[in-house]
Amino acid sequence: MSDTTADHPPLEYRPSKLARGIAAFSGTTGRALKLVALALVNALTLWAVTQLFSDDRALWGLITLGAVVALDLIYLLPGAIPAKFIAPGTIFLIAYLLIPIFFTVSTAFQIYSTGHVLSKSEAIKAIKVQSLQPTGVSYLLAPARDASGDLVLLLVNEDTKTEYVGTRKGLTELPKGTLSVDDQGVVTTASPDYKLITGAELFTLDRELAAYLVPTEGDAAIQPQGTASAAELKPTLAYDPVADTFQNIDSGVVFRDNGKGSYVAADGTEIEPGWRTYIGWDNITAVFRDPLVRDPFLRVLLWTIVFAFGAVFFSFAIGLFLAIALEKPGLRFRRLYRSLLVIPYAIPGFLMLLVWAGLLNDDFGVVNKLLPGGLDRPWLFDPFWAKVSVIMVTTWLTVPYFMLVSMGALQSIPGELVEAAKVDGASRLQVFRKVTLPLLMIVVAPLLIASFAFNFNNFNNIYLLTAGGPAAEDQSVAGSTDILISYTYKLAFQAGKGQDYGLASAVSIFVFLIVATISGIAFWRTKALEGVR
Amino acid sequence: MTTLDQTEELAVPRVAEGHPAPSRRRLGDNWWRHLVAIIAVLVSVFPAVYVVSSAFNADQSIGGASIIPRSFTLDNFKQLFNPPSDKSETNYPRWFLNSIFVATFTAFFTVMLGALAAYAFSRFRFKGRRMGMLFLLLIQMFPQLLMLVALYLIVLRTGEVFPALGLNHLLALMLVYLGGVMGVNVWLMKGFFDSIPSELDESARVDGATPSQIFWGVILPLAAPVLAVVGLFSFVGVFNEFAIASVLLEVKDQRTLPLGLQIFIDQQYGERWGPFAAGVLIAAIPAVLLFAYLQKFIVSGLTRGSVKG
Repeated sequence: MSDTTADHPPLEYRPSKLARGIAAFSGTTGRALKLVALALVNALTLWAVTQLFSDDRALWGLITLGAVVALDLIYLLPGAIPAKFIAPGTIFLIAYLLIPIFFTVSTAFQIYSTGHVLSKSEAIKAIKVQSLQPTGVSYLLAPARDASGDLVLLLVNEDTKTEYVGTRKGLTELPKGTLSVDDQGVVTTASPDYKLITGAELFTLDRELAAYLVPTEGDAAIQPQGTASAAELKPTLAYDPVADTFQNIDSGVVFRDNGKGSYVAADGTEIEPGWRTYIGWDNITAVFRDPLVRDPFLRVLLWTIVFAFGAVFFSFAIGLFLAIALEKPGLRFRRLYRSLLVIPYAIPGFLMLLVWAGLLNDDFGVVNKLLPGGLDRPWLFDPFWAKVSVIMVTTWLTVPYFMLVSMGALQSIPGELVEAAKVDGASRLQVFRKVTLPLLMIVVAPLLIASFAFNFNNFNNIYLLTAGGPAAEDQSVAGSTDILISYTYKLAFQAGKGQDYGLASAVSIFVFLIVATISGIAFWRTKALEGVR
Repeated sequence: MTTLDQTEELAVPRVAEGHPAPSRRRLGDNWWRHLVAIIAVLVSVFPAVYVVSSAFNADQSIGGASIIPRSFTLDNFKQLFNPPSDKSETNYPRWFLNSIFVATFTAFFTVMLGALAAYAFSRFRFKGRRMGMLFLLLIQMFPQLLMLVALYLIVLRTGEVFPALGLNHLLALMLVYLGGVMGVNVWLMKGFFDSIPSELDESARVDGATPSQIFWGVILPLAAPVLAVVGLFSFVGVFNEFAIASVLLEVKDQRTLPLGLQIFIDQQYGERWGPFAAGVLIAAIPAVLLFAYLQKFIVSGLTRGSVKG
């Protein structure tokens, strides 16, 4: 910011029109606006809290309530002025950074994957529904309202032609002739006790009908199949809430909670679906012990380090070289060169990554066409060349950054030092190695570390260029150019081998530990923390 | 090379004395600088030039396009905006607007929320201030990318109660991005605010200004350069963001540009290169304009940010 800090703003303060306009809002008007805004926030939050409570999420309701009370206190009490300024950003920090951190850790200790996404009570419900099998008895159906306006089912047994009315309590036989069935199999009635539901109202009842059960003998129940027919269903599994087991009603086989989110029989048969549940350290230790997880993880970790280091090394080396080449006062076209060289930095990265993926393409790619014969390569489809391409393109994108940084840093090196070294008879190489580079590093070292940490998690550069491919020899989810973060992404969101949120969270905790260690060492070495005033 | 080196060394003192030799003669010493620069320029502009040429080239396939278009056409742009019905997975105008909307919204609130916090850290002395700053530095080590699974699950479940904050809603995506506001932005802005003389606040306070009046009326207008830089980086960062958006937005019409273009071109370089290049060209415009406009702030901002941590 040399150009803004060097010439200090004039000490005599003359507000611009804009400033005065804005400032007007912080007087009495401002106080009124603040109260209105606060009232709106309160109203919105209280509505949200009622929603949360009615949706059985009382804990989150309480947390939200606590947050809004805290906000009210901060803004209505006269003191705590810093809190008034810090609070708005902090809300988002808590909601979308701190809570996610907590969730990540919590998920890492759960079995939470394809087949284990429901909560236990949801899973029990789902198992009950899935175990329902038709008994073979079917009915013609007409939804109707009884005298008190409640939804009932008018049913005609398709075989015996017996007429019934079904409610949520049970099935009652009706006197013969109350209902009639026309040629198309549509049930009608002339009875004044029941009012048939037709037309538009019928469509709005879709969901209610699908969930309507008329209990019959034992555990069996009649369930509507659409709006014109119904079938009697009977569960094949019986749930025992006391022992927390399912029993197969025909064979008597008992399925028990195995502690890992499934009901399992003695012979190992599982009932689908399972549920998410805490399983302790299994996901974490899998990264060390399970060869199916450990081997890809180590391979990916190694490549991640090579990639991040390679990208930073080449970017900085080339960027510095360009800076030195251009850093000569009076060099012709210097500004033009510089403007053209920063183009890769000015264009949003994702666009150029997608473009490079096209340019390096085997069949259509221009790179292979331009290269002299014999130099064409399967740039993106061979494990080795794909790695080279990823580092190359990342370097292409990052060189301008380090060129700009190096130019700035070179200018800050006092010319006398270089001169003095030359007078003492140092060669150009010696001057560079013993004087320029060490001084440059003071400024650039933190940026190199930051760039390393950034590339360590540079999802875009991998995913948009090779999508982590080509497939590696071990046939794991991780392709040969996948870095840890894209490996995590695939574990969690790419359906190929099922999604595993638990393992993905465990891996991301490892990624965090690795990055934190690197950054920690870096901060310690550069002593950046000393500057905290 | 040795002779060259010697002449080079001789040339340096003359420059230092302020008598630059006429550039015609100096071209001899500088030939390698020009050579390096020209090669580097060719490598760095080649993809961009190729995209521009493909966008206006009548031949749609990537391999068929030559650097200089044989025939000029706007068909690629037309096709991008009115795709034939069989490419129903495409809605470029919508993606573009989504991206601009999300990036602008996020950049604006990033600047606002960040500046508010930075003002408190810069101008007030309160308990926990140092801890707060260190905490923000620490939190910087947890990029949201690492919490992809958690963010997905949180947005999924929030959406079960409040659909507008759930999956496939841009609002949810923007709020998630705002979770990453506090951190390096606050540090950067605090550093700049510290350099604004506190005498200005004092005199405003003597005149009866409240802290919020000082913030809006004194600090913010003077801090325009740093606000611009933070806003630009936030805009470009969000504009580029792929992973979180790809997890939260699943429907065609809610996609942002990175998602849309990636799916559009995915392994279809043969048929779609032309319209794709047109799309890249248009998508590059906002960020390049912003970059050009704010360039002088950026260059100094890069090194300044580094020294300040």
